[in-house]
Amino acid sequence: MRFLSRLGIFVSLFLTLSFAQQQGGTAVIALIQEPGLLNSFFGSQSAVDLAGALTQEPLFIADATGTYQPLLAEEIPTVENDGISEDYLTVTYKLREGLVWSDGTPFTADDIVFTFEVYKNPESTPAGAAVVAAYEAVESVTKIDERTVEVKMNGVNPGYLELWQAVLPAHMFDSSAVTDQHPQARIPLGTGPFIITEWLEGDSITFERNPNYREEGKPYLDSVVVRIIPEKEVAISSLLTGDVDTVFFITAGDLQSLSEAQENGQGVTVILQDTKSWVEWLWLNNADPNDASQPHPVLGDPAIREAMDLAIDRQSIVDEILGGFGSLTGSFIYSGFAAVDKPATTFDPEAAKAVLENAGWIAGQDGIREKDGVRASLRFTTIAGDQVRELYQQLIQQNLKDVGLEIIIDNQPANLIFAGWGDDGLYVRGQYDIMMSRAGYAIDPASWASEFSTAQIPSDDNQAGSNAVRYANAEFDTLVADAAVIADPEERKALYARAVERFAQDRPALPLYSSAWGWVWRDTLQGVDTNWWNGMWPSVANWYIEQ
Amino acid sequence: MTQYALRRTLQALPLLLLISMVIFLLLQMTPGGPLSGGEGQTRSSRNNAALEQLREQYGLNSSLPVQYLRWLRGLVKGDWGNSFSSGRPALEVILERLPTTLLLTGSSLVVTLLLVIPIGIIAARKQYSTFDYATTTFSFIGISIPSFWLALMLLFVFSFSLGWLPSGGLSDVRNRAEGFDKVLDTAKHLVLPVATLSLVSVAGLSRYMRASMLEVLHQDYVRTAKAKGLHERSITYKHALRNALPPVVTIVAIELPELFLGSIIIETMFSISGMGRLFYDAAGRSDYPILMGILTIAALLIVVSNLIADLSYGWLDPRIRYA
Repeated sequence: MRFLSRLGIFVSLFLTLSFAQQQGGTAVIALIQEPGLLNSFFGSQSAVDLAGALTQEPLFIADATGTYQPLLAEEIPTVENDGISEDYLTVTYKLREGLVWSDGTPFTADDIVFTFEVYKNPESTPAGAAVVAAYEAVESVTKIDERTVEVKMNGVNPGYLELWQAVLPAHMFDSSAVTDQHPQARIPLGTGPFIITEWLEGDSITFERNPNYREEGKPYLDSVVVRIIPEKEVAISSLLTGDVDTVFFITAGDLQSLSEAQENGQGVTVILQDTKSWVEWLWLNNADPNDASQPHPVLGDPAIREAMDLAIDRQSIVDEILGGFGSLTGSFIYSGFAAVDKPATTFDPEAAKAVLENAGWIAGQDGIREKDGVRASLRFTTIAGDQVRELYQQLIQQNLKDVGLEIIIDNQPANLIFAGWGDDGLYVRGQYDIMMSRAGYAIDPASWASEFSTAQIPSDDNQAGSNAVRYANAEFDTLVADAAVIADPEERKALYARAVERFAQDRPALPLYSSAWGWVWRDTLQGVDTNWWNGMWPSVANWYIEQ
Repeated sequence: MTQYALRRTLQALPLLLLISMVIFLLLQMTPGGPLSGGEGQTRSSRNNAALEQLREQYGLNSSLPVQYLRWLRGLVKGDWGNSFSSGRPALEVILERLPTTLLLTGSSLVVTLLLVIPIGIIAARKQYSTFDYATTTFSFIGISIPSFWLALMLLFVFSFSLGWLPSGGLSDVRNRAEGFDKVLDTAKHLVLPVATLSLVSVAGLSRYMRASMLEVLHQDYVRTAKAKGLHERSITYKHALRNALPPVVTIVAIELPELFLGSIIIETMFSISGMGRLFYDAAGRSDYPILMGILTIAALLIVVSNLIADLSYGWLDPRIRYA
């Protein structure tokens, strides 16, 4: 007996010692663009992801392959475990046992119900990224017991695991009418490994260890400080000198120099992510900018769009301008569970010329084609001042000129391009010919695909419409609408695959390349893994500083 | 003089009102708008409804005159509106940045004056000497160097290569210092940004100081002072300096508003959260309450600093009378 207790003491001492090396310390993250609100139910800027991973946990979290794993939920609801009813219209979510908010209050079904009440309340302003389209299919949320909620859907809801990516603590609110002015919209209380303790706007956000975190002994770090470093070059240099431990976030343009730094032994780890990131698109205005009821005088001709698709040398963009960091895709759904692996259109300027000749676009004296008195001249708009973009914009301009299409570059500031209908945003109002911008990746393509349905064409009556390319195809509409309300993943995939084909044939928009992406951190920061859809951030509880 | 100051103040009021009206209209005329989407954002229809609700909440759906009058009424009552980006009161957001900016620009002003006055005096007294040529050359270089480039070079040499000084921010976030150590820590963080800011203004201002001093040194009364055998030092500091200062004071006073408004470039390069960055970020987001707040303060400061410049003449040069 005495021997055993001595052994016990020895073992616990040993454990304490071996863990002692890991406990404590501060990790510093450089953040380029500071958001206004950190609660992902209210704020939509990308840095909200970062704060979310540290503080505001979801019921289900997607891993790097896009498969959801339970986090605050105990298990994934399925028909087999009675989590989903036979008709797929009722889903029962079960919470983990013993969950508490970081202030010690129990995390219960009431919080889940309350979050939905805030969503429903017309006086609330849930403009954040966590408020996904999947909520639209939710009819009611009912508490069964402290750890169980029953959710009735008004149709099959394939996005049921995307719900409650952020949960609001009911005990912090007096009413379910919550706007961006509530303190919780800025600084959320969560269940995650860290608590936001101080936010000096423009300078830093301090996160301290959550003493009530559910995993014993974790997080290892005492604190995480997010330092706002608006100049990317300075942020990267600070990473290389060790002033910061990682940067949120690294873009393709930074990968080349960082990979070299890794090879030169500058003490950083660079991990390239396999899943496709955002894709750079050429949005082709299908409607006449002066009269949206008419097809575009030039781009309205499918031959022009096909010729453009053939004439652009995408591989050169990746190789010569992006340093090889990027890949090509011809698929409109390129990532997530329904990803279709469709190769990009092969670069073939001769074929492009033939397409144009056959369609009756004949070169005039200056080499620019015309048809029925219409000159094949197009404005090409992207965000002004983005130097890398401007480089390949010129490459595309040359490519298209080579086949007889005139491109006039007309770049504009981002807040003019993406302004809303009421502020005369160029994109939503259709005041462009070709617009170049990127679109994000999604695990479930339901909302992304429906953005291109005819009903989403923006107009006075539908000012928030997302189909700014004004693509209208009944077959595409049906495929996408059906795919959104079918439960069987295989059936859905098949429908999305057909939608991808339709889209690729009609070419309402042309994918240019898929950006490479990755993560980088200093070697002294240990315990980082990138097995998550959001990369390295969800592993923050396991991070520790190597002494 | 009190009467003069009072009259000038009263004259300033309608001027300020007019300025605020003009900047309000100019801001509204700039392309884009608040609560507009960013690049590559997928939005649910609930998000869009929420944005509509926010537009309503911020009164953006009213006509421009109504919006302006509402803003003006709030201003008088001390409510400057809420930032569109963080939902916080604009005045609170602005005042939060003020100490940082004042610390940065104030330190830089002190350093600048401590350098400019001696440089100007010596360069004027020993005109065409090696020192004079050296400072002239330095001035031309200093005026010509773009400050963002200088900031980058200083960062790369003293921070990234040599590792002597921190690369940005105003405190060491890994080891939070307390008490006297905190002062030292802040000072260390201030060296590079203050050096960048000062270098540029020393270059410009020292030229003024030299020219002004030269002018005074050639005046008759200086010759008289010399003739009656006064000590060189006494002539320079007692007689000449005081008379050489007014033009320099005017320039410093007119630049005073910049003390409060900070520098966008320096604050960006050195990751300092001052007024310059606040303005820049707010402009990018069309955050009107913040922009209106800063611009109104700026207009007020410019009016006030011009008044101060005019009044300080009387103190420095008793010959000047106010009518």
